[in-house]
Amino acid sequence: MERKTLEDKLTGIFRKIFNNEGLTIIDDLTANDVANWDSLSHMILIGEIEKSFGITFKLKELNKMKNVGNMMDIILSKL
Amino acid sequence: MPAFNIRKATIDDIPFLVDSIIEAEKGGTGILSYSTVFGLTPDESKKYIKNMLLEEVDGCELSISSYLVAEKEGQLVGAVGAWIEGNEGIPSSVLKGNLLKFTLPKICIEKALSLNNLVKDIHIENINNTIQVGIVYVSQSYRGLGLANILIEEQIKSLLQISPEIVQCYLQVFGDNNAAIKAYEKLHFKKITERRSENNLIVKYFPSASKVLMKRQLK
Repeated sequence: MERKTLEDKLTGIFRKIFNNEGLTIIDDLTANDVANWDSLSHMILIGEIEKSFGITFKLKELNKMKNVGNMMDIILSKL
Repeated sequence: MPAFNIRKATIDDIPFLVDSIIEAEKGGTGILSYSTVFGLTPDESKKYIKNMLLEEVDGCELSISSYLVAEKEGQLVGAVGAWIEGNEGIPSSVLKGNLLKFTLPKICIEKALSLNNLVKDIHIENINNTIQVGIVYVSQSYRGLGLANILIEEQIKSLLQISPEIVQCYLQVFGDNNAAIKAYEKLHFKKITERRSENNLIVKYFPSASKVLMKRQLK
């Protein structure tokens, strides 16, 4: 999958989970930049990403996702 | 005051840490959000909290490394969980979310999804590069002896040795827990803000309809 395609798909997921239609994702985006990115919404976000792409993350992979760029790298490595 | 042995928690202390987390989360009520939000029985909540602690992820309330414990005559009687927010490069809320996602059954995510908006009402973000006191617990028979105070002071001291530049310490407490709020005020924490949910359902899932953020200026 192209990185741009992944970014578009992830944008849709992020907008749905954080209930924010104007949310734009960039590589440097972190949980600190998005309102209400708490433990529960993070758990739901990861669950939604796994379901959408048919992948399963290891805990070590999850804990390496310091920003959206890291997240995209890991997703692409699993597709 | 009886002498307590204060030390860092180890993997052997997990059963006591699980009980400490559960009792602290209940905030003096019978409501445990792990059970209500994720649809778990009390025993399942215990099992999954234990499993999350066993993962040994640092930097949040589900990290063994965040805890100091107090012993009296070989028996664990108190625990404080505190950490430097963002020290692992990831917010503690994300680390906790990762542990929840990794550990809990899928059905729990579906249950949580329906409550996501409700939970947001009382969510307060942690601030990077500050000390966050997440869990404070003292066994019933050792309350009133200043043990929580001793544990908090020791943990702040030990975290400041790691990051001397830190100047603020925060904690969050449920709004109805007046006894805890008063106790923290005695420890020089001040109320900063309160987030309250107007949704009547909130008290079905959490010990209180509001959360209070308290801050202590360290320098």
